[in-house]
Amino acid sequence: MNTRALAISIFLPAAAILVWLLAPASPPERWNESEAALIASLSLSALPQPPPDPSNAAADDERAARLGQRLFFDLRLSATGAVSCASCHRPELAFTDGLPIALGTGPGRRHTPGLLGVSYSPWFYWDGRRDSQWAQALTPLETHFEQGADRAAIIRLLATDTEYQAMYEEIFGALPDPARLPDSASPLGGDSQREAWLSLGPGLRLEISTAFANTGKALAAYQRKLLPGRSRFDDYADAVARDGAARQGDMLGREEIAGLDLFIGEAQCINCHNGPLFTNHEFHNTGILPVFGQLPSLGRFDGVRLARGDPFNCLGEFSDAAPGDCAELRFARDGNELAGAHKTPGLRNVTLTAPYMHTGQFTTLAEVMRHYNEAPTAILGHNEAKPLGLSGRQMRRLEAFLHTLEAAPP
Amino acid sequence: MLRRLPPALVFLFAPALAWAQAWGEARVDFTVITGGGKRLAIISELSPVEINRMHNWRLRLTDGAGAPVAGARFEVRGGMPDHDHGLPTSPEVTGELEPGVYLLQGLRFHMPGRWLIEFGIRLGDDADGASLEFEL
Repeated sequence: MNTRALAISIFLPAAAILVWLLAPASPPERWNESEAALIASLSLSALPQPPPDPSNAAADDERAARLGQRLFFDLRLSATGAVSCASCHRPELAFTDGLPIALGTGPGRRHTPGLLGVSYSPWFYWDGRRDSQWAQALTPLETHFEQGADRAAIIRLLATDTEYQAMYEEIFGALPDPARLPDSASPLGGDSQREAWLSLGPGLRLEISTAFANTGKALAAYQRKLLPGRSRFDDYADAVARDGAARQGDMLGREEIAGLDLFIGEAQCINCHNGPLFTNHEFHNTGILPVFGQLPSLGRFDGVRLARGDPFNCLGEFSDAAPGDCAELRFARDGNELAGAHKTPGLRNVTLTAPYMHTGQFTTLAEVMRHYNEAPTAILGHNEAKPLGLSGRQMRRLEAFLHTLEAAPP
Repeated sequence: MLRRLPPALVFLFAPALAWAQAWGEARVDFTVITGGGKRLAIISELSPVEINRMHNWRLRLTDGAGAPVAGARFEVRGGMPDHDHGLPTSPEVTGELEPGVYLLQGLRFHMPGRWLIEFGIRLGDDADGASLEFEL
């Protein structure tokens, strides 16, 4: 072989590989009917009104939402006076905190999930250990490493702050007389709080817990209003729905459209990240490794048991629902299959909410893509996902598509 | 196969094939034949069936001569064979609305794709069963 032939035999394949690597995406020219239907199903235009919450009679009461909004940002709802709901659920980060693990009055256990659109979920927390937004809202208030307050202290605050008192009583009726309230008492706190709680009569305990439940209902009324904004993807999806199946190359870039093609097809993301919020609100084991030094989380296996035992659940005495309204709790599923299963997060604004996964294991979306591409064996239970065999270029296209879901803060 | 989201539920088995697409468009009975030769008609109260929505089904059980079969007890299981997981809920037959017509509560499907539902049916000591496979 002479030098020229040798050069060609090396150069041509190398050039071909380079062209393949750098070539722009070439998605097909038109979406077929079922692809177009899938794309339309992901648009915010397909999102109905938030589902009613029969367990919260104040869920859609504007006065309750105004009270809830003030409470959400009030640092006094913590033992230290330094932590509000908004300390971890920061509006400018799509109501997340940018940290791997939440930091309240102390280090938390899990990654802070965003709040935009969560009122559509029947279950709350990564493990679904609460069955309503108001029952969820109560939990950090009394968790020692989150806000670390207690229900007696919070009701005391509401009953002694004249604005809060007026706002509360207009919606829910009279608060307990502050003269009867201890400074601190809860069935869930430390020894002194529990002793103080037990020293109260059952009537006052019920009054305090009822007012505490109402506090959660006001917080939920506010949080129900936190909805994602329209993104570039939504305009594109609506155009696809309107103009037949035409690809709208000027609304999304070719790489982004190629990413969408993968998202609804080969990469199977849409299996769980479905609907306008890009989540099925369900629990899946996808083989996420525990944080180094921590035991793996049992996830939904524990969560369903905890939800059933929660006195503030849909069937409990503080709920406004009739038992027939509590189908999710009544027909919730148990089983070993749920070990290690965590809730599918929505993907709107996902590019703004790093890090990722239930304990913030992944710093970047590229790491998330690699994880799903490999689908490693789960440490606990079994990984429902299967290896995808995507190329690096395909994973980058998926990531490009996820950028189209960004929207301005509400 | 997985790309078709709502609404058409397509039975792969059973004589209901002729009506298969109708579930997505109207409230129609679909019938599967049990191992013991009974007919189990299934009507969704959510029509068309959509992913991620809790709803109920009605089950009408009749014998070979078309007479209602009352007093049956049901056990309902299912899942997605392709994804190696079960149902997201634990549906239960909570009552018999009229002789041979049963209310199955607590159904929710959280993924598009192929679903398999298995009905265990007990009538006294008699154990019977039927299965239903559909695409959502």
